[in-house]
Amino acid sequence: MSEILIVFGLLVALVAMLACGVWVAFALVITGVLSMLVLSSAPIGPILATTFWGHSHSWALAALPMFILIGEILLRSRLSEDMFSGLAPWLGRLPGRLLHVNVFGCAIFAAVSGSSAATAATIGKMSIPELKERGYPESLILGTLAGSATLGLLIPPSIILIVYGVATEQSIARLFIAGILPGLLLVFLFAGYVMVVALTNPGIFPPGEQRFSLRQKLSASRRLIPVLALIAGVIGSIYAGIASPTDAAAVGVVLSTVLAWWNGALSWEMLKEALMGATITSCMIAFILAGAAFLSVAMGFTGIPRDLAVWIGSFNLSPYALLAALTVFFIILGCFLDGISVVVLTTSIIMPMVESVGIDPLWFGIYLVIVVEMSQITPPVGFNLFVIQGLTGIDILKIAKAALPFFLMLLLAVILTTAFPSIATYLPSLMGN
Amino acid sequence: MNAAPQNRGAANRLGRGILRRFLDGLYNTSGAVAAGLTAMICILVTAQVVLNIITKIGGASVAMTIPSYADFAGYFLAASSFLALAYTFTRGGHIRVTLVLGAMTSPKLRLTAEIAALVICSATSVFATYYMTLLLEESYRFGDKSTGIVSISTWIPQTSVVVGLAIFSVALIDVLVQVIRNRAPIIEYHEKL
Repeated sequence: MSEILIVFGLLVALVAMLACGVWVAFALVITGVLSMLVLSSAPIGPILATTFWGHSHSWALAALPMFILIGEILLRSRLSEDMFSGLAPWLGRLPGRLLHVNVFGCAIFAAVSGSSAATAATIGKMSIPELKERGYPESLILGTLAGSATLGLLIPPSIILIVYGVATEQSIARLFIAGILPGLLLVFLFAGYVMVVALTNPGIFPPGEQRFSLRQKLSASRRLIPVLALIAGVIGSIYAGIASPTDAAAVGVVLSTVLAWWNGALSWEMLKEALMGATITSCMIAFILAGAAFLSVAMGFTGIPRDLAVWIGSFNLSPYALLAALTVFFIILGCFLDGISVVVLTTSIIMPMVESVGIDPLWFGIYLVIVVEMSQITPPVGFNLFVIQGLTGIDILKIAKAALPFFLMLLLAVILTTAFPSIATYLPSLMGN
Repeated sequence: MNAAPQNRGAANRLGRGILRRFLDGLYNTSGAVAAGLTAMICILVTAQVVLNIITKIGGASVAMTIPSYADFAGYFLAASSFLALAYTFTRGGHIRVTLVLGAMTSPKLRLTAEIAALVICSATSVFATYYMTLLLEESYRFGDKSTGIVSISTWIPQTSVVVGLAIFSVALIDVLVQVIRNRAPIIEYHEKL
């Protein structure tokens, strides 16, 4: 009984700290310190020091700054223009026409970058003004961009899957490969939604574009070849087992630099900016991971996650019922917290509960990422909404409303992946070890 | 002393004394070193991948490995992450929940929350720095080494973590002092990820 009060007190302390603007990583550390003070007699300081050190120098985590750097370099290259002019000629006959540039452009960029905000910024920079000028409906432009950019989290490489993999000691390579089919499923759902809208309301779309011959199409797409080669190199080498994600990331950095040089955007100044930007983002994530690692260790000493698992176990819930409850919980949490915080809180506190009902942690990682994708487009805190607001100046609530259908598509993807878990687990099962 | 108009930047800089310039230089230098280490990770890992490819093509006779490259990459990462803490902090790179702060209409309440958050974080950072220093001292005393081909004394990479945390503590206290003197929050936050 008293333990329930203590857990409740800790939760209140965590929420109060977050509300007061205590930086997320510190809030995690302090919650860990408080829980150990109350529920265990283990030496707090030395455990904090060994956890910080032990969780900050891993080889797997070295992939993190490099995948971020790839995104930073490509964001500053002329990729966004190439993406638009390379994709547009192919989409003239598809219902919804050029709106699909957002969907497919985001999907392609997601396959070279691990962040959804970088995806939204890179694709939106070019597609928003171009599509507006051609008279496409604003709500669909914003919605497709906000929704499709969340693919950055799921389609490998993915920063959030690195965070999940490091925090739960899962193979990052397998997590990456597991993200491919669900990512394609989402592309299909997003594009499908656009087509349905286009077929049912043809009036809201501008008149048809000029037609291109196959020769013109191929010539326009020539500029996309380097990006496609980059994707094939990075993902292919991980899938084939030639390279670990860290190796692939390093090669990806070199190739993206070559790509930026090839399209004339490379300069020392640009490279320096990209490197400083990547260092800041990577430091922020590494610090949260260190804080989360300590919280996990502290939680282990207190026994709270184990008790929570036993308590949940006493209800005899089916995995489906538990997942349904967790989904609602994550959606609410995701309205207020960013994706990485949601993931690290989950891995520190509720992983034992998830594993106790027999849910595969590899599958759960993919499920968690799709749910976190939803949190990117839910107000008041949704990072894609912030990025698109920055690009367009439009209020985030309006953007969120435009993104609502895509939120529902993500929910549908969660349901499909739960009903057919092999969507996530089939490809990794082919990998051997 | 600080009657000069406040410029709008990532962080308003109050005063122009030697101490101010020294501290800003400290954060920028450690940030630059951190970025350099990130670049080193890329170079190191790429070099190893190139050697792997040479081995694949040329067979075992030309097989080469950079000794303990995975250990080095990990140590560079730890050093980069911790040395960048202060730089990231002063540029508003660490994330926090701004929703409630933004809704605080009373400047006094907003200032109180900011000071409370900074005090809590400064104390935690000093606490972590202290115990990390003890761990470093212990590694040095017991002569802990990594187990790879190249055996590296653990205290060497640990020093970068201690230095990074110490600079971070200084930056937190520095910003706390500036907020109190300025009577308003000074760091602007970039909502990005």
